[in-house]
Formats: sequence, structure tokens, C-alpha cells
Amino acid sequence: MDDTRRRLRGLPALPGLALTASLALGATAASAQELVWARYGDIDSLDPHRATSTLSMQVWDQIYDTLLAFDMEGNPGPNMAESWEASEDGLEYTFTLNDGIMCHDGSPFDANDVKFTIDRAFGDTPSLTKTSWGPITDVTVVDPLTFKVTLASKFGAFLPFLADSFSSMICDSNTAETFGSTTAIGTGPFSLDEWVKGSEVALSKNPDYVNYGEPYDNEGAPHIDRLLIRTVPEAQTRLAALRTGEVHIAEPPFDDIEAIKEAGELEIMVAENTGQDVFWEFTTSRAPFDDIRARQAVAYATDPQMAIDIIYGGLTNREWCPVARGVFGNDQEFCKQYGYEYDPEKAKALLAEMGYGPDDPLETTMFVWTGGNRHKLAEIFQSQLAQVGIDAGIEIMDIGTMNARVKAQNEDTTSDEPGTFDMMTWSWYDPDILYQLWHSPGAYSGYQSPELDAMLEETRTTIDPDARLQKVQAVIKYLMENAVHIGLYSPGWEWVFAVRPEVEGFKVGPFLHPNFLDVTVVSGG
Amino acid sequence: MIHSSSTAELADDLATASAPRKRSFWRALLASPSGLIGLVIVAVLIFAALTAPVIAPYDPLRMAAGPRLDAPSTSYLMGTDDFGRDVLSRIIYGARLTLQIGVIAVGISLSCGLLLGLVAGYSSGWTERVLMRLVDVLFSFTEIVIALACLAIFGVGLTNAMIAIGIASIPFYARVTHSVVLVEKGKPYFEAAVAAGAGHLRLIFLHLLPNVVPTLIVIGTLGVSTAILAAAGLSFLGLGAQPPQPEWGFMLSSSRDLISRAPWMMIFPGLAIATTVLGFNLLGDGIREALDPRQTDR
Amino acid sequence: MGKFILQRLLAALVTIWIATIAVTILIHLVPGDPVRIMYGSFQTTPEELEAIRVRLGLDQPIWTQYLMYLERLVQGDLGRSIVGDQPVLDVLLTRFPATLALTVSSLAIAIVVGMSLGFLAAYKRGTWVDVGAMVLAIVGVSMPHFWLGLLLLFLFALQLQWLPVAGGDWRSLLLPALTLGLANAAVLARLTRSAMIDIFDQDFIRTARAKGLPRSIVLYRHALRSGLVPVVSMLGLQFAYLMGGAIVIENVFAWNGVGRLAIEAVLSRDYPLIQGFILFFATVVALASVVIDIAYAFLDPRIRYS
Repeated sequence: MDDTRRRLRGLPALPGLALTASLALGATAASAQELVWARYGDIDSLDPHRATSTLSMQVWDQIYDTLLAFDMEGNPGPNMAESWEASEDGLEYTFTLNDGIMCHDGSPFDANDVKFTIDRAFGDTPSLTKTSWGPITDVTVVDPLTFKVTLASKFGAFLPFLADSFSSMICDSNTAETFGSTTAIGTGPFSLDEWVKGSEVALSKNPDYVNYGEPYDNEGAPHIDRLLIRTVPEAQTRLAALRTGEVHIAEPPFDDIEAIKEAGELEIMVAENTGQDVFWEFTTSRAPFDDIRARQAVAYATDPQMAIDIIYGGLTNREWCPVARGVFGNDQEFCKQYGYEYDPEKAKALLAEMGYGPDDPLETTMFVWTGGNRHKLAEIFQSQLAQVGIDAGIEIMDIGTMNARVKAQNEDTTSDEPGTFDMMTWSWYDPDILYQLWHSPGAYSGYQSPELDAMLEETRTTIDPDARLQKVQAVIKYLMENAVHIGLYSPGWEWVFAVRPEVEGFKVGPFLHPNFLDVTVVSGG
Repeated sequence: MIHSSSTAELADDLATASAPRKRSFWRALLASPSGLIGLVIVAVLIFAALTAPVIAPYDPLRMAAGPRLDAPSTSYLMGTDDFGRDVLSRIIYGARLTLQIGVIAVGISLSCGLLLGLVAGYSSGWTERVLMRLVDVLFSFTEIVIALACLAIFGVGLTNAMIAIGIASIPFYARVTHSVVLVEKGKPYFEAAVAAGAGHLRLIFLHLLPNVVPTLIVIGTLGVSTAILAAAGLSFLGLGAQPPQPEWGFMLSSSRDLISRAPWMMIFPGLAIATTVLGFNLLGDGIREALDPRQTDR
Repeated sequence: MGKFILQRLLAALVTIWIATIAVTILIHLVPGDPVRIMYGSFQTTPEELEAIRVRLGLDQPIWTQYLMYLERLVQGDLGRSIVGDQPVLDVLLTRFPATLALTVSSLAIAIVVGMSLGFLAAYKRGTWVDVGAMVLAIVGVSMPHFWLGLLLLFLFALQLQWLPVAGGDWRSLLLPALTLGLANAAVLARLTRSAMIDIFDQDFIRTARAKGLPRSIVLYRHALRSGLVPVVSMLGLQFAYLMGGAIVIENVFAWNGVGRLAIEAVLSRDYPLIQGFILFFATVVALASVVIDIAYAFLDPRIRYS
């Protein structure tokens, strides 16, 4: 608001000019358009190579841009990269960039920045999602607008990855120590003003932004001037703030959604095609889950449909597949054939076979990560498991810790403690996630087999869509029959938004990327 | 975690009182209003804990025992929670956990703190100075930080939280014991025993210890309330009790999302904690008054 | 006076030094391999873990590690957090002012409310005022302060909507400060009452009264100042307790201070952050005690020589 007023004061006092100027600026002069988006947590880092949380990713989307972009159906298309060519053997890709892209600090964005980003991802402190880039061996700058990427083997998910936030392009002027902590220079629709840790990420619109390939109406800079992304951990508090207008967009408490819809005070938006999958996975390196019957018992004993009905109403869906709706390879009918319908009797029978019974329950621990009301689902599952004779303690922790502990559990083959299982969640736009999870050594050092490895490699190296579908479905069948990766529901976190009536144009892109390009705040916010 | 008196003041008060006689102690305790009320509350807590399976109307873990988020009614005196579990039954079973917490945490702090304080107070010179310096430094970290450090090392959970609180309060008990021992050392009976040639162990356990005990009973009782508050706080933060344990602090944290829709989920567990802690505080005050009749109008 | 200040500073330094030893030991008390626990996450390979181990110096003997830690400490480097790889000191410093604001304002409220109540109770000893005040005090001491916070939040922010729920300005400080302050006021009330009763009983007060001095002068100049002495001596301790209490209250009100950070760190086993927090906390409390002791010594010269 202050900036606008200062600019107005500088205008000449000539009546005609002033009138025209004030008419032209009329729309924005009333108040600088500021949008406040409240979420339950803060980002972990401004550096796309140092975090994996959805909370972080959604902010990277605003500051950075990607070479390719997904359309609303989830297919990757040109964005910062105007075009590309793949070599015959699929090992070399040559990209041509759009001309004139600017970084937030005024330096030009060109092929050198791309090389900088990719080299950094594979460098001394590699990106946390290094493996997702694929088997890249080299990036060569041909000229400022052209570069070549060389792969060691064919990688079917390469182009989709270049549309994903983890491949966000980092300008090569980000060499300061403060990068990721207090500074971040990108080419996205918003530039970073300030990150007040634990409280707020303040962004300003990037006037030089050009929308080359994102599926939104606005082809240039955002309409709003400032985007404030605030951390408000309590759902009730977010709801109260939405009602008073302190906040424009936020996830409401699930229990209040019906009431909100009825009152009509806020608009409820439910994202689709989120690519999110919530699934059971197990510590297969030791008892009890080294035995397939124990894993299957857990699957038979739990009823995800009932649990999600209670906790989420109709807002989420039962997901039978290890990859979510909207992702290549997903097919509910196909997956259901190999799935485990709720059947406590079968669970009990399997446990009895293993030697467990009412006097000798199977003891284990369930890991769950915070947020999305998952702790409540966990309690319901715990109760269902108790009914068949599985005594599952619950441990709730944040996602980073859970990743580490799952891995630690899998790698521990000698402990006397019973193996654990967890409600893991991954959101991915391509079945390549299965490769990342289950191909040895495995993201969490979990279940592995040479058979599975071979099948997974084929999913990566097969480019032809129909052939690839066969390969992917073979993997899905294997994972489900062996009770290794058991889909529960999708979507699972941060997919519901309550939006104030004066906000227009808020959209959520595929794979849960909230976007603000088209947003305007009517009636002067 | 806030202790209600300075250690020196308490030690001073109690050390100067003569050893109580049993019958007059109980009479004095029951005569003081705080002692009486405190005793009643604590008795109710113990009763509830012991007879929980009998007096609780429902299984505290049973989901859908009633409709979800049902307001208090004749069938569910304290309402139901978001899983349809009966809040009253959970509160009653929670009494067991509360009692456990109090006993275990105070047990740990008392025994270790007592030993430390006795040894430090008895030996003078360097041993005493170094030990008490260490104790003072640990004390200045505050109990919650020590508890957090313990949880960071061993992981979260109710048992770990009890132990963490126990460890965190050791400096406090050590300081009180040390103060009392210093006072006792100056008394005629002790000097006489030393002159008579009593050995170290005799002096510590036969002479000092019995005179330290009254103080520690008071501190321990008050300490139970501190431990209960601390455990509730840690559980509230997600560092203590885990689902589905009906621990009162944990029940409070579950109620946060539903404050508007189901205020009874927040009111009753809080009331339970406050009443129990009040009971132990009153009882502690009452015991202190009973042990030292001079202090009646404190 | 100079010697007194020096003594106190030295004591604080010893506390901080012991804290550095404690935090260095802490990570070695963790069962299992700390590097794996901290960094063994999605997609990290054993080679990467080894590189991290060497980079952090965790392959060195503990003495070397301690010296390395001190060396980095002196340069202001507290390491980087596991979650998001953020510089620990930076993270702590940005959130500390919020905690300080909360602690100081709570202390102010506790002092004003608690001491007034205690003084009043002592002055009107035996009457209904006394009994009422002490009942209030003991209930206040027994009540879980986070429950009080929830009640206040429910009443004032959600139901009546008098106060904003989010944001960091003074209005959103009001409820948390009130919660923490009132909880501590109960403690101070009891302490003040005891101290003042002692004073009122003393000879010099009766002498002053007998001399015919007006009651107000007796109260303010003699009784209050002497009575304040034992209570003020406790202020350092109260400050520490309040900093500890802030840890929970910040969580209730989502106040963006170091307390909330500490809880998140413990839940995510972010050891560099936990170590940084403990050291930071110990340092702040130690320095605050020095400041309070020095201020107190100005007021009461007698203690400089004790």
C-alpha cells in the first residue's frame, strides 16, 4: 500500500494527466492487492535440493519455474524450454530455451543456469531427490539458449520430472551462503521478499514473468502484488482467521467442512489428480513382517473405506493402486483384483497359521507422520487391528523423521524388537516413484528382489506408452501380491482449500500445485 | 513446572521442628482444612485408579461406544470424543496413568536427589562444592529443558516422559536435601554422634536420614503435583502419551481442533488435572502444617 | 561492586561451559548411529552418510569433537539443522525476540498481579480477603497453564473474537502473556504473602508504628522494601521458569518463539537444533540471572558482600 501511494505522489500535478493516471490506476490504487494463504506448517528450506515436503514444494512453485510444465491432465509440455529433441537411442536430449527469461535479480536466465542447477543436484552435497533426476552423466552448454543432457541409460520419466517442482531451475547467481535460508533467486511468478522462519514467507510479484507453458489464463505477471504464505498450525485458528478476513485461503478443520458448505460463507475447493498415495509398507528385513502372511493380515484387518468416511467425509477416495488416480498406470479395477478387501476373519486365520492367537497377540508399532488428521486414521486402524489380535502401538512424528526411522528399521536385521510398519505417503506424477522406492538399494532400504529390480528397470527404459503400461502393471501386480506396497486412499494431505468469496481465479494445478497467476482479490481486499 | 517455595525456606521451616508424634500428626493433618480436602481428593484418585475396571461405564478404548462428539447426557456423563469414546471412562482410566506418573517420576527424583544431597551435604570441602555446583548448573537449565533433552535422546512416549521428568527434578531434590543436611549437621545430637565416633554410614543413614525424611515427605507430595503437570504438558505437546492412551494431557491436545464443537473434550480432562494437582498441593501444605504446628497461620 | 559483577559473570560462564560439554555428550547418548538417525533419509546412500560423518567430525574422538565444537562456537557457528539444512544460530536468533517479549511481559504481569495479591493478603491477614486471595493462588498454582491458555483462547479469540488469532503484534501477545503471567502470579502471590507476614511481625515495624508514623509510610518505606528482598531474590529463578513455561504456551497460541521450535526439534530428532537450543537457553538464563543479580545488588548493598 505504501509503495502505491509513493508512486502516486511522484506523478505530475497536471489535471488531465492526473485524471487519466488516476483512472488507469484506479483498480489497483485502492489498495495493493495482497493475498494471505495460511498453512499448517512452514517450509523446510528455500533450496529445492534440501527438502522434500509438500509444504516446501508449494512455495518453490511460486519462486522458481521449471523447464517443462504439466497441463491440467498431467501431461508434460514446453515451458521455459521451448522445444527439445531426443536422440535415437534415447540417451541424449537437446533443449532450446525461450529467449529473454530474466532472473529476479535482473541477470538473464540461460543454459548456464540449467547446468548450474543440475550440476549442483549431483554435486558434493547432492540434492535429496538426486535419484529422481535419472541417470544423468553430463550437461553441456551449446549456446546460451541451447543445452544437451546425456543419460547413462534410457529414462522414461525424464521429461515429466522436468515439469516437477523438484527440478526447479535455480539461477546461477545463487552462490551466497544465504541461499536457501534467507535468499532465493529464481524465475518464477513471485520473488522473495523475506522468509520469517516459522511465521511467514513474503513474496512480491515478478513484473518480468512470462507464462510460457503453465495451464492458466494469465500469460504474464500475476495480478496480485504480494503473496503472503503464513504458518498457522491450528485448524480452528485458520478457520477463525478465514472468517474475519485475516486470511484468504487456508485448509479448514475437516469436521467443520459440512457446516462451512451449508453456511456458504467460504468456498470449498477439493483438488483432484493430486498424485498422492497413502499406503502401508512394512519392515521386511525381520519378524514379523518378513512373513507375507503378517503383511496380508494387516491389509485384511484394516478397513480404509470406513476410516476415511469417518475422518474425511466424502472428500477422499479409496485407492487400490500403489500409484494414484491421474497418474499413468493407475487403474482401480486392475488393482482391485490383487487388493485385500476388508476381511477380519481372513486376518485372524493368517495370524493363527503363524502361531498368534487371542492370548498371544502380534506386537508391532505403526509409524505415522503429522498432519492431515492421519493420527486419527491411525487410531481407527489401531482399533481395527486390535480386534484381530494385532497390538499396534502408534508413533507419530514429522515426515523427515519418519523417513529416517523407516530406513533405520529396514536396515536393522538383528534387533529383537518386532519390525514396524508405516503409513507412508508419496505424491508423484509418474510411476517412476515405484522405481525410486523399490529398486535396490531402495529409497528406504526396504523390500528388494532381483525379479522386482528387473521389472522396474524395464519401466524406466521402455518409452512406448502401451508397452510401458504393461511393464508398470506387472510391477503393480507384483507389489500387491507380495503385500509390499498396499494403497489405502488418495488424496491424503493439504488437498482441501477454503477460499474467501472475494478471491477469484485461485486454481490448483495437477499434482497439488496451488497457483496464483489468475488470482484477483475483488472489492479491494 | 513451578515449585511453590524456595528450598532454603522449606528446609529451614521443617528442620527446626521437632520430630512429630504419630497420633498428633494425623490429628493435625485432618484438622487443617487444606490437609483434609487434599487427603479426600487424593483418596478419590487412588480409589478411581484401583477400581477403574469396575466403575467405568464403558471400555475407554472402545470406539463408537456412543455417537461421535455427543454432548454430556445421562448415558455419557461427560460426553463422547471424536471417535465416539466415552470421556468419563477415559478420565477414570486416566487416573491410573496419572498415579503411575506421580509415583514413578517422584520415585526417581527423590531417591537419586536424596542420595546426592546426603552425600554432598555430609562430605564438606571439594566434594560438596563440586557436586553442588553441578547440581546448581543443572538446576538452572530448568526442568523442562532437561526433560526435553532426555526425550531427544531416548525418544518420546509416556514411560520415557515419566523417566525424563524424574531425572529433570533430581537437582531440586538434591538441593533441598543438601540444605536440610547442613542444618542437621549443626545440631547437638549430630555433633554428639560424631564425637562418639560413629562411622560415616551410621551418621548418614541412622542420624541424618530420619531427620531429612519429614521434609522430603512434604516435598515429595508437592512434587507429585509438579510431575503430573509436567507429564500432562509433555503429553499435550505430543512428547508423552501416545494414542490411544487416555492420559489427561493427551486428551487435551486432541480436543484443540474441536474446541468449538465439543468443549466438553477440553473441559473435563483439564478439570481432572487441576483437581488432582490441587489435591496433592493441599495435601502437601497440610502435611507441612501438621509437621510444624508453629506455622499454623501460613 | 566490580568484584561482585565479576563473580557473577564467572559463575554464568561456568554454567555456559558446562552446557557446551553437556550438549556434546548428548548426541553420543543416543542409542544407535547418530549420523544414520539424523541423515539416513530418503535416497541417501551409505557413501553419502560417511561423507556427512566426516564433514561433521563425528568420526573423531570425543575430545577432538568437543574442541571443534568450541572452535565453531566462538565463530558463531552452531551448525546446520537437519530439517531444511538451515543455520542453527540464525534460526534461533530470528525467533528469540518473540520468546523474550513473551517472557518479559509475563514476568511483568506476574510481578504486578502476584505481588499485589500477596501483599494484600498479608496486610489483611486472617480476613476473607486473605483466604480468598490464597484460594485463588493455590488454584492458580494447580491449574495446568496450557489449559488456562486454551480456555482463554476459546473465550476471547474464538467466541468473542475480541483479539486476533494469528500475527505477531502486541495484541496477539496479550493472551499468551496473560496465561503465563497469571500462572506465575499465583506462585509469586504465595511467596510475597509469606515474606510480608514475616516483615509485619518484626520489631522494627512495630517500633515505627509505635513512633506514630503514618501507616502508609510504614507500609511503603519500611515493610514493602524489606519484604521485597526475598521475593526479588527469586526473580532470576522466576525468569528461568517463565522461559520454560513459554515453551508450552508458545505451542498453545502458535507463538513463533524458540520454545515452539524446540518442540518441533525434539519431535523430529533434529539434534543440531536441539543442541543449539539447549546451549542458547542456558546462556540466556545465565545472563539474565547476572543482570537481575546486579540490578538487585544496586537496590540492596548488603548482598554484595555476602
